[in-house]
Parts: sequence; C-alpha cells; structure tokens
Amino acid sequence: MKILVCIKQVPDMESKFKVADSGKWYTTADLAWRMNEYDEYGVEQAVQVKEQIKDADITVLSIGSGQVKETMKKALAMGCDRGIHIQDETAFDKEPYQIAGIIAEYAKDKNFDLIFTGMQSQDRGSAQVGILVGEILDIPSVSTIVEFAYNEGDVDVSRELEGGIKAKMTVKLPAVFTCQLGLNTPRYPTLPNIMKAKKKELLTVAVADLLHVNARLVTEKMFLPEKKAGGVILEGEIAELADRLIAILKEKSTVLA
Amino acid sequence: MEVSREIYWNVGHGLWTLFPMYLLTIVSIFVLVSASRKRIRLYQQGLPLHRSDQIGRRVWETFKNVVLQKKVVQATAPGIFHGLFFWCFLFLLVGTALIVAQADFTDLFFGIKFLKGTFYKMFSIILDVTGLVAIIALGLLFLWRYLFRWQGREDHGQYLVMHGLMMAILLTGFVIEGSRMAVTEIGTPLAQWSPVGNLIAQSIAWLDEDGLRLVHKSTWWLHFALVAGFIALIPYTKFRHILTTSSNSFFSDLGLKGKLTSLDLEDEDKETFGANAVKDMTWKDIFDTDACTSCERCQDRCPAYATGKPLSPMKLISQLGEAARNNPEANLIDVLSHDVLWSCTTCRACQEICPASIEHVSKIVELRRSMVLMEGEFPGEEVMAAMEQAEVNGNPFGIGYAGRGDWASELGVPTLAEGSDFDVLYFVGCYSSFDKRNIRVAKSFVELCKAAGVKVGILGKEEKCCGEPMRKMGNEYLYQSLAAENIEKIMSYGVQHIVTTCPHCFNTLNKDYQDLGLTGIEIEHHTVFLEKLLASGKLLIEAAPLSCTYHDSCYLGRHNDIYDAPRAILEKAGVTLVEMDKNRAEGFCCSAGGGRILAEEKLGERMNIKRVEMAAALGREVLVSNCPFCLTMFEDGVKGAEVEDKLRPKDIAEVLVERLC
Repeated sequence: MKILVCIKQVPDMESKFKVADSGKWYTTADLAWRMNEYDEYGVEQAVQVKEQIKDADITVLSIGSGQVKETMKKALAMGCDRGIHIQDETAFDKEPYQIAGIIAEYAKDKNFDLIFTGMQSQDRGSAQVGILVGEILDIPSVSTIVEFAYNEGDVDVSRELEGGIKAKMTVKLPAVFTCQLGLNTPRYPTLPNIMKAKKKELLTVAVADLLHVNARLVTEKMFLPEKKAGGVILEGEIAELADRLIAILKEKSTVLA
Repeated sequence: MEVSREIYWNVGHGLWTLFPMYLLTIVSIFVLVSASRKRIRLYQQGLPLHRSDQIGRRVWETFKNVVLQKKVVQATAPGIFHGLFFWCFLFLLVGTALIVAQADFTDLFFGIKFLKGTFYKMFSIILDVTGLVAIIALGLLFLWRYLFRWQGREDHGQYLVMHGLMMAILLTGFVIEGSRMAVTEIGTPLAQWSPVGNLIAQSIAWLDEDGLRLVHKSTWWLHFALVAGFIALIPYTKFRHILTTSSNSFFSDLGLKGKLTSLDLEDEDKETFGANAVKDMTWKDIFDTDACTSCERCQDRCPAYATGKPLSPMKLISQLGEAARNNPEANLIDVLSHDVLWSCTTCRACQEICPASIEHVSKIVELRRSMVLMEGEFPGEEVMAAMEQAEVNGNPFGIGYAGRGDWASELGVPTLAEGSDFDVLYFVGCYSSFDKRNIRVAKSFVELCKAAGVKVGILGKEEKCCGEPMRKMGNEYLYQSLAAENIEKIMSYGVQHIVTTCPHCFNTLNKDYQDLGLTGIEIEHHTVFLEKLLASGKLLIEAAPLSCTYHDSCYLGRHNDIYDAPRAILEKAGVTLVEMDKNRAEGFCCSAGGGRILAEEKLGERMNIKRVEMAAALGREVLVSNCPFCLTMFEDGVKGAEVEDKLRPKDIAEVLVERLC
C-alpha cells in the first residue's frame, strides 16, 4: 500500500501577526512555525494504517521554502518513510487550486492508495486542497473525517457534519481523506525515531516542474478584523446580576424568545 | 602482680577448644564470603559507573556516616538508639579483637600480654558498660519497632530473629562474665571494674563452683555459636546492611548535588535511552537496593506519599531490588507502575535524609527517560501539549515567543541583542516572563537592581525555557535542544554573571548546563545576589515589620543548600519569621518540581494545599517563597485551602521592594 500525506508548515497561532507591506499576506518576522494541526492527524492516521497492515510506504509531501523541511522531519520522526519537499519560495501566494494542482501533478502516476490532508490549514483555512486533489485525480474524497478504520481494501469512516451529526460511510480506495480534530491523538516522536528520521530520504523538487495549472482566485487584501466594542462586565449582587443578564439577553438576543 | 584475667579461663586453650572454635569461625566466614560473592553478581548486572575516584573524600564520607553515624542520628529517636547500639557494638568488637590478638597471637607467639594493669581495668569497665548500653539501646530499638512503628512493616520474622540473636549474644556475654567472676573475681577489688558482671556474679554466687563452671563453659560455647551464626546470617538478612550500607557511603555520589547524567544524543549507534530493565540501571542503582535498611525515613518525608499518591521511595527501592534478584528481565516501568514514577516531584527529601546514601531521584528520572524517549509517553495529554508548546515557542504555555521580553518594556530593561552595557544577565525564565503573577516578581527584582545601581540585561525573545521541567520529566532531547540554544546565546554575548529568580533555572544553568558547555560564568539565585547587595550596602532598604513564614523551595534548599541567605534578607527587612515545622532540609514540596508543574495533580490530595495549610496554621500574614513554581502553587493553594484573605503568598523580592528607601 502506498500512502501520501500532505502537510503544511504554518505559524503558531499564538504568534503576533502583522499584515505585510504587500497587504496580501502576513509578515514572517517573529513567527514560530509548526505543522498544521489537522495535518498532524493525517500523519498519525497514515502511521496507524502502516502499523496495522505492516506492508505500507508513507510519503510525506510539503510545499514551501527550505524551512518547511524542519516540519517534514517531524512527520518522518512520527513514522513517515520518505519526504517530498516541493521547493517554492512563494507558496503562501498560491491559491488552493494551484496547491492542489501541484499535489495532484506529483501524485498522478504514483498510484497512491490513500491520500491524507488536513481538513484545512490554520493560516489560510480554505478547506479546499484535499477535495480538489481528489477531483483532479478523479478519485473519491471524504472531508472532515473523525473516525477511520481500514479493512481489507475498504475504509470505514465517520465524517463530522454540522450540529454534531456524524455520517458513516464505506469508501473504496484509492481515495482522499481530509482530517478533522478528534480523529486521533498524534504521537510524540520517540528519540530513536527522531534519529532515524535524519537518515530518511527527503527529496526536493522545484515547484515549476509540477505547477501546470493557473490561479483561479486572487487575494485582494488581508487585514485585521476591526475592533468592535468590548464586552460588558457586570458587577454586584448575584440576584441583581441575574436579572440584569436576563434583561440584556431579552433585549439583544433571541435565546429567550 | 598486675591485675588481669585468664583468657580462655575454664574453656581451656588446647586443641579441643581451638579446633572447633576456629572451624566454626572459618565456616561462618566462608558462608559470609561465598554468599556475598553471589550477591555481587546481582550488582554486576548493572552498567558500569565510576565510583572509586577521590579516595580520600570517600574514606572521610564513610568515616562520618559509619563510625560517627552522622546521617543515622539525624532522625533523633531511632537514630540515637541505632547510634548507641552501633558504637557499643563497635567497642565490643574491638574488645573481642584485642582478646583474640593477645591470646592467639602476641601471647602465643611472643609471650606478650597487654590486657593487664590499668589498661585491663579500662578495658574491663568499658566493655562492661558498653554491653549494658547496647542491651538498653537494643531494647529501645525493639520497642520503637514493635510498639510505635509496627504499622506497614514487613518481614517481622526476620527482624525478630535479628533482634533476638543480638540480644542473646549480649546476654550470654554477661552470663559468661558473671559466672567467671563468681568463681575468680567476686569480692576482689578488680570486680568493681566490671559492675554489671559483678552484679550477675553475685546473683548466681549461690551455685557451687562446679555448677558455675558448667554454666560458664556451656554459655561460652553457646555465645560463640551465636556469634558464628550472626556472621553467617549477615548476607541472608538485613544484617547485610552492616556491609552494604557502609560501602554505599563510600560509593556515594560526590558530584554536584542532584546533577543528572547527560545522555549522549549524538551517538547514532545508540538505540535505547533511559532505563526500563535492570540491565539499563547502573551497578550502584542495584547496590542501593541492598544498602536500604527499610528505615522509612524517605517514605516519612516524601510529599507524594504524604498526599496519598502511589509513590513510596522506600518501596520503589525494594521493588527494584526484588526485580534485580528474581526477575531481571522484567519491564521495570510496569513493575514499579507508571503512576508511581510520574508522582515524583524530584524534591530530594528522600535522598537528603537517607542514611544509606541511596540515590532515588536519578533512578526515577532514568526510568522516565525511557517512557518519554522510547515510548513518547507522558503522565497526561497536558504534559505532551506543554512539551510541544516548548518545542515551538520555547515556553510550556505556548505563548508566542516574540513576546517573552514584553513584561520588561515599560521598565526599560535592555535586551543583550540591543548591545547596551550590562552588569548581569537576568535569566528570567518562563513564569516570570509570561505569568502575570510572576511578572510582578521579575519587575520587583529589576527595581531592586536599579536601586542598587546594577545594570540588568535580558535575552528577551532570544531566551528559551531552561528545559528543567522537561528534563525532570525525562525529555532529555527537548531539554538538550533548549539548553543548546540558550547556551549559544549566553556565550555569544560574553556574559560573565547570570542571576535568576527561579531556583529551577538557577540549578539547571549552574549545574546541568556545564555538561553542555556553559562554564566559567558566575550564576546566582536572586536571594543570594540580593543578600550580597544588602550586605555590601549597595542596596538600601528600610526595615519594616511583617509577620511571615518562609518556604524553602526544594531546588534552592535541598538541591543547593541555600537556607541562610533568604533568612538573612528577611531579617534585614525587619520581618518576624516564624518557621514551619517542615523547614530547611525538611521543607515540604509545593508539588511543582520534577516537571509536575506541567502536569495536573490527579491522584491523592493536593500537595500545595497541604503546604499552604501548614503555613496558615501559624497565623502569619505572608507566606514568603523564592520560586515561581512555589508562588504559583501557593496562589492556587490559598484558594484551595480557603485562606485567601488570611495568607498572602509573596516572593522574597516583593518583600524587599516594598522596603526600598
């Protein structure tokens, strides 16, 4: 079995973000970088499948500058077998269709049985890449999976729907899965695996070799949300507080209607 | 003629005496040696560890702890009894050796007798009195064990035999003396030099001489057989501590207090890290288990044990020994249990009090290393999250690293990267950088430095967590990566002097970082630094009264023996300090050491509440501490103990800053 896991290196969400001079993305000064949270679930799921069926080979793919290799090493330490780094200094500028195009171009002749991506990235948050990869490769895709079980060629998954409802389905492979919080708990890499990861194959490919689609979306502007009025802090006796709270809820919301 | 006595009186000195006597001696010593050799093979299962350097210091340590019983008598009640018994035992042993030396050597071969005259009188009275004191001490030890400390003890049979045998040896000794004196000495002036023997002689003087001689001879042989039995029993009973505990004192850790061994993470051939089986421990770790006398002092002081957690340091050592003897292939982590190993706060109370020089903490960390580095296992998801946060942002809170120096901006503290002149580097640590409550401590410290004319610089966003909690949790890899980054920065700025407000940072930078290349820099905790500024007159304060109690953090106290500097500061500050029962080396951990600051306390009672209750019981206004972890736990603890309005936790720097002139 061949498995592809697509991961993205994103800034830690606790960082202080500033809009870049271009007005279209954030500056990278003072940011700490890590693996996109949802992609970690993808890596973990791939490794769990390999642990289950033994005979599997996991490729981890990431697009970006040389810096993303640091994050790829974590995926290799978690248990991926090899890495494909698609060198692209302006990956942040590419819209989801282009990113999906690059991944699909790489994957099209590799016969991957399973492709995992995150449900969305923590920085751009388009939630499109995984599904677009499935479309371009013309294979099924299932988004926001929270349960995954591999049985002899089929996969039983649950996907999260609105309002806490889950949908169960069985999928024939090959297929793409985008991973949601709750799917699993990503492992902490062990030291021997960190050591081994240093010796694993990590190939770099120029993005120009794989980018054959044109952008369909253009980013117009990036800005911080406008500051709105702050919250209201109520102080006083509990009974009185409750009355005031009810009054506010009646006046400004529909929860008591 | 000079006074003396006939050695071998009544038993004779012919072949019929000497042959069985020496045969019995040789057999008992043979049993002792062969069983000990077998036992040594147990220790050889462990990894090598060099513990025979600095012979002079080791001999001195051994002398202090064995001959002077220094650590033994620290726990007063049973310690003094043991000390008395030991010293008497030692005198009796020396006395017996003198008899053997004269009768079977100097007199036999050279006709020299030295047990005579005044020397004999002294010899006689000393042995007579020490025999009595030994009986009393043994009786007290017996009462202590069987009246006061019966609960939870195991192996009653073995201890009864041991107590009984010792008592029988002492009593038969007096019967021998008494029956001999009843025939040869009673009524002579010499008899008063053996008062106890004399008393016994008088009480059995009604027997005729034949009877006395029969009693004497049979008791002599019984006494001899008992002693031979004692020697042979040493390797099979807790009597072995006579050899192992003394040797362990010789083999004790002479390195920096509490410094852990650094793992070589560059070694690419290494496939296992930490310990999960007996073979991964050092020989000293296994030897420790035999040196343990089960005195329970560690357990009595273990804060985890005291708050109902599954850890007992004593039990851990005995289970380790049990595994080394009977089940060396077993997975030690499963044998000891994961919860036991995660419960330790590395407070060192066990190790500090242990009279047998056992090293508990390093074993626990070594086993944790295996869990973390080999299995990726942590005591809870919150701990794993904190580790990941520290990897990304250099602090366990996961707050953006770039804001690490923000607290200092309004105070105008420069970062070293700005290139301004500085006297000391203030290594702030994660809590004082990011935690609101502890930022107040950092600000107080900076204000004090300013008042004293000391120019302080910080690393700001270039500083990372010192890695201490991670290291104690077993995550040596993360610790070393964080440490390497800090060391590189510190060295690149040519820093000469570092001050920390956190004893964990202090201990780590001062000791642990040495292995990774941070050397030749003066590193101080702020209590010591501020005390010097006060003493030199650079820092001027106005004393003002405050009623408080002071908590010795484990890492300033037991790990670094800094007890006086903070107390001196408080005295100069005009503070009336009332000590808690558990103070100085007996201080009770706040719960946050050993990386437990990253973990939720899910088992047993809350340790911090327990400590706050000890402080609150004194009815003081303020609980002074010297550590951000302690302060954090106490701020939480005063709420848990519902004494928020009565007891305020404060750092010692905050007490001082309120008194600036």
